[in-house]
Amino acid sequence: MPLVQAIGVATDIAVMSLLALSAYLLLLVGRISFGQQAFFGIGAYVSGIASAVAQWPLAAALAAGAAVGAFASALVAWPTMRLPGLHYAVATLAFGEMARTALQAWHWQVERDGVAVGPAGSEGFRDIRWLLENNVSPVAFLALALVVLAAVFALMQRAERMRIGVALRAVGHDDTLAAAAGLPVARLRLLAATVAGALAALGGGLYAHRATYVEPALFDPMLGVHAVGYALIGGLGTALGPILGVVFDLGLLEATRVFAGWRMVVFGGLVALFLRFRPRGLLDEALMHRLRLTWPPRTPRRSAAEATG
Amino acid sequence: VVEPLLQRTVDGLLDGSAYALVGLGLTLTFGTLRRLNLAYGAGAMLAAYVGAWLYQRHGAPAWAVAATVVVAAAAIGLYVERLCFARGREAWADGPQRAALPAAGHDGREVVALASTFAVWMQLEQLSVNLLPRHLNPFPSLAAAGEWQLGPAYLRTDRLALALLAVVLTAALVAWLRMSRGGIAWRAAADRPAAAALAGIPVARVQMMAFTFACALSGLAAFAVLAVDGQVTPMFGMWVLMKGLVAAMLGGLGSVAGVLAGGWLLGLAEAHAQALFGALGREFATYALLFAVLVLRRPTGGT
Repeated sequence: MPLVQAIGVATDIAVMSLLALSAYLLLLVGRISFGQQAFFGIGAYVSGIASAVAQWPLAAALAAGAAVGAFASALVAWPTMRLPGLHYAVATLAFGEMARTALQAWHWQVERDGVAVGPAGSEGFRDIRWLLENNVSPVAFLALALVVLAAVFALMQRAERMRIGVALRAVGHDDTLAAAAGLPVARLRLLAATVAGALAALGGGLYAHRATYVEPALFDPMLGVHAVGYALIGGLGTALGPILGVVFDLGLLEATRVFAGWRMVVFGGLVALFLRFRPRGLLDEALMHRLRLTWPPRTPRRSAAEATG
Repeated sequence: VVEPLLQRTVDGLLDGSAYALVGLGLTLTFGTLRRLNLAYGAGAMLAAYVGAWLYQRHGAPAWAVAATVVVAAAAIGLYVERLCFARGREAWADGPQRAALPAAGHDGREVVALASTFAVWMQLEQLSVNLLPRHLNPFPSLAAAGEWQLGPAYLRTDRLALALLAVVLTAALVAWLRMSRGGIAWRAAADRPAAAALAGIPVARVQMMAFTFACALSGLAAFAVLAVDGQVTPMFGMWVLMKGLVAAMLGGLGSVAGVLAGGWLLGLAEAHAQALFGALGREFATYALLFAVLVLRRPTGGT
């Protein structure tokens, strides 16, 4: 594989990992969302507008996208999180499509250097040229994406060791039991959805700047389903699971082109088989527990004792 | 002012009947298994593609295409049932305890089935596109040019026939479920699987047959709808699932008679949204209606 292509694939993996982690976070609290692509899209549009129209620096644009994504996600989760799992999944799917059609109808262009920039409905949003204007090379951008992903991953790993992580898992495992134990189930789910929205939007912002062009059709349900599929294949035992799922699909199935035209058949079949025989993915809680017993973490397990005590 | 409004209402009702027709199988599946089959639309589309392939490459007549589509839809349904629904179903034997797979908490198995049918959706859609890669594929057309005048509004006879088919099928199903022995076994297996098993009903077999039958019904619906259009595109799977799902959700998921009312409601809402806000408004109205119904109405049964 030529180097340029490898860098592209690696960047795709980093960006999609953020979306997969957002689906993973909701799976942790026992909810399947088929609408994470909407927040990915919102992040892409908001950060694109911030950098291309309002001329903000990249970091501020990405932060703005993540903030709006978090807010939108909280707003959607507030009425829907109380629904049973099935109804929640369908409601998120409906919201994703509402967001997509709304973006298709949205025209808001500003004249800049004689060129109109901004979202142009179904034609999409062209010329998000921050990377080109600031001479950011693909390698530098890959490094940025990897740093963002590593930071998110480290934070999630840290959170899983803390009370909040244990509480989120408890809600996902059995919400009645968690409520009986005094956990604020609805609020914990709202928190998970908010952070998940921010993660998806962050991924969307990175995507938009790399591609320089986004259109509403990109954010169709298949994108969100892939994110859920990555988490379900990779495993729900650790934040490493979703990333593994992305590497498997983008790095192996798509990049090698062995399965050209049959990638969906293979990927879809794998997800279904995994759900049937290993419903919590490759790296599930049992495997992670066994791994941790074999290689105990260096930090003392103060937090685990704290959570139970 | 009144005349276009009336015409839109009539068109909306006719469209709505098609939605009810495709929603029928979906609501039946949910009624029996308490689980949603998201590969429903993709399965109907792959079956329709097999029919279109026969028609295009081998010049099969319309009746043969219809039979093929129904049989193919049933076969695909069987595949989906074995892959996505067979495993979790054994858990009813464990009694009223929690699901054996705590994959997603309280309603775990339901959500797992949801995710795996979504995965199969991707599979079936890609298979359809691999079978006939073109965007527009001819389908045997039974469209009739005739129109009836009803006061100031016009009715196309082929679409009227489609609406009649929806009403007749729904009525027949309701009657069969209410009155026949098979229908009673079906409902018993859906309501209280453990009690039904004790009463000697082969629950697993009844559920499998119900699932396959519902998918065959989706094949019939797909043929009827496509025969009026005379063509099939890769968007058809999404169309079937979305319209069927909204119609079924509006009518109360699991209710057979409700799907007809739900379909009409959706058709009316869409027809008027299109007139007011254009094509995008129509699309938006579908999803907004679905979202609103989910959020505003307490779900009945199901979980």
